Amino acid sequence: MENYKIILFLCNWGAHTAYQALQDQGYRVPPEISTVRIPCTGRISKALLFKAFEMGADGVALVGCKPGTCRYGVGTNSAINFTDDTREILAFLGLDKDRLQLVTFLPDEVDGLRNFLEMFCDEIRSFGKSSLMPTHKDLIKDDQAGTFAEILAAHNAYGCQDCGKCTSSCPLALTGKQFSPRAIAGAVIAGDMNSKEIVEDIWSCLTCGICYARCPSGVNFPDFICDIRALVKSKDDGDSHQAHGGFFQSLMRSMTSPEMKTDRWSRLPKDVKLDDKSKILFFGGCAPYFDTFFRNHLGVRTTDVLVDSLRLMNFFDVAPAVLKNERCCGHDLLWSGDRENFLKLARLNIAMIAEMGIEEVVTACPECYRTLAMDYQRFGVDVGFKVTHIYEFLEQEIDKGAVTFNPPEKAMTFQDSCRMNSFDALKDLPRKLINRISPNQFEEMKDHKDVSMCCGSSAWTGCDAYSKAMQVNRLRQARETGSNLMVTSCPKCQIHLQCAMEDPFQGNDLKMEVMDLTSVIRQTICWE
Amino acid sequence: MTNTNEKNRQEIIVTGFGGQGIILAGRILGQAAALGDSKESTLVQSYGPESRGGACAAQVIISEDIIQYPYIKTPDLLVCMSQSAYDKYIDELKPDGILLTDQDLVKPAEDRDCFSIPATRMAEELGRKMMANIIMIGFTTAVAGVISVDAAKEAVTSSVPRGTEKMNLQAFTKGYEYGLSKLKGRAKKASGQTGVMA
Ligand code: SF4
Ligand code: SF4
Ligand code: SF4
Repeated sequence: MENYKIILFLCNWGAHTAYQALQDQGYRVPPEISTVRIPCTGRISKALLFKAFEMGADGVALVGCKPGTCRYGVGTNSAINFTDDTREILAFLGLDKDRLQLVTFLPDEVDGLRNFLEMFCDEIRSFGKSSLMPTHKDLIKDDQAGTFAEILAAHNAYGCQDCGKCTSSCPLALTGKQFSPRAIAGAVIAGDMNSKEIVEDIWSCLTCGICYARCPSGVNFPDFICDIRALVKSKDDGDSHQAHGGFFQSLMRSMTSPEMKTDRWSRLPKDVKLDDKSKILFFGGCAPYFDTFFRNHLGVRTTDVLVDSLRLMNFFDVAPAVLKNERCCGHDLLWSGDRENFLKLARLNIAMIAEMGIEEVVTACPECYRTLAMDYQRFGVDVGFKVTHIYEFLEQEIDKGAVTFNPPEKAMTFQDSCRMNSFDALKDLPRKLINRISPNQFEEMKDHKDVSMCCGSSAWTGCDAYSKAMQVNRLRQARETGSNLMVTSCPKCQIHLQCAMEDPFQGNDLKMEVMDLTSVIRQTICWE
Repeated sequence: MTNTNEKNRQEIIVTGFGGQGIILAGRILGQAAALGDSKESTLVQSYGPESRGGACAAQVIISEDIIQYPYIKTPDLLVCMSQSAYDKYIDELKPDGILLTDQDLVKPAEDRDCFSIPATRMAEELGRKMMANIIMIGFTTAVAGVISVDAAKEAVTSSVPRGTEKMNLQAFTKGYEYGLSKLKGRAKKASGQTGVMA
């Protein structure tokens, strides 16, 4: 018989009392069930719920107190939201939502609890084993991670002239954080693993690359940090620096399970035309997961970018294929130091794309773009297709003529994407497109292009009060332009900047409509 | 059914002012038809004071059969690259004839259906105003379908100065794609689709 694993998170109060009473009656708890006693269901985060699945659970039940009987008042209500969001995300991963359930009992509802346990075990058995493979902390071998000396040499960091230009241009340092890229370079040169720079600071860097644009020795700081993180991770781990309890890293790692069949495309609107046989593939990225995760908090709608991209391709008579079983591109794992799992994702995606005979991959996410167009290759995964950003596709089509734009009613400003700015060919493209829409309704922020300020958080790593302060500064810059629409090109910019707008004290001074350029184009373009 | 593309005789006037490469454009059209598409073609060019700045015209006939008389009174296709040329020839165009213009240089009568392209501006963007005529040929090839693309490209490369073939082909392609896009846009509009569905 297959070995099922079912986890019960039992609230200390009502639920646990009922569970104890059940045991006192001599009830034999099914052997597949393991219990974890918790102070309140409201203290269980999405990250913890998901983590159980990542570690190999086939089913998870969060067992709490009936709404209204929560000892702390709101515990059960929070748990309802967390559980719902996590269930949706499980569904995107191709798992039955009912593998995760929230149930509530009064202390004396012993029979109810027993019935539930029986029913839940049956249900999980009927679903079969979970397709998520427990991901062990597959640390890369020491020899693969290289040594400090090798990393320093590879990125020319020995050439550091100690000039400090990097620190004086770094937006984090400028926000007032005790943080200095120059000092990080110094600490790595000194090889001091226990220094604050290596224990703490390497996880704060946004890998935005502004310092790289300024450095006279051409030290590619983002790539350098990426390697250092992988090395540090191979020794210890950097998990404590992950935002949102490491939920996203956990989600992305889980996608390395070879058996998994994701179901992220099934909710596309009916009018979107796809063609299984097309040689052009649209690669979506993680927007559906993000939107679900943040739906009760930020209400971000980054999935619109994917739908709008597909509609625009359709507008120009291209019906692309999509990858039914698309995984995360691996960007965030790569940049949070988990190279092993990044490579697993890369190989899985590439093998599936190759099997479809794809010649060109179009994507609307700057992170997916960079990862597919540059980083897969950089880490030895061969890509047999051309990678096109949706803006390149649009520029090429619009340039053919016969289309025009109904200018939007908004005054626009533009938030650069750091990943897009790492490609010379892409840097000016968003501006070119905005100019086509309406040159007179656009105003640049004080910092833009190469020295633009980033959205304050990268790869779900190192988000702290200084990230917030940076985002506030950035939003102020946006407001200073007098615009009322911030045009973005990366889903993460939308998420992180909108997060700062939630600030209860400053929120109203910072609020501004945010929309991806793809959506702006979709709303304004028309045939001449 | 006689569609312009299938008519076995096409009478074309290409017109503009001197220096725009009007005669060359006419010659390329005729040459493409004769050498590439194995049809008959004739070219009559207006010289005189016009070639130094005034209105200037090339009359081209492309036909499946032998052409007895090369002069044109009422063209099927009128390609205009200047306002004065438009004013001079527009009344000659057959009622169901096709009008092609340079969008920035010709303002046709409001009710006049026409295919326009900012050929001169596009040529400037490509770095050479001189190539507006080649862009116009690309546009004509796509919209009117009187010559085949391959024949047109071949005629362009063999007619332009050596060393500029690539640039001119690029210009041709721009005009050609613009034309295809125009046709597509019209078809979409006719089917009721203007913007992207939301
Ligand atoms: S800018 Fe470059 S050379 Fe100057 S301190 Fe920073 S890393 Fe060193
Ligand atoms: S990459 Fe960005 S955040 Fe990191 S040190 Fe350089 S400027 Fe600062
Ligand atoms: S800025 Fe907000 S959404 Fe982004 S990582 Fe930090 S807390 Fe999360």
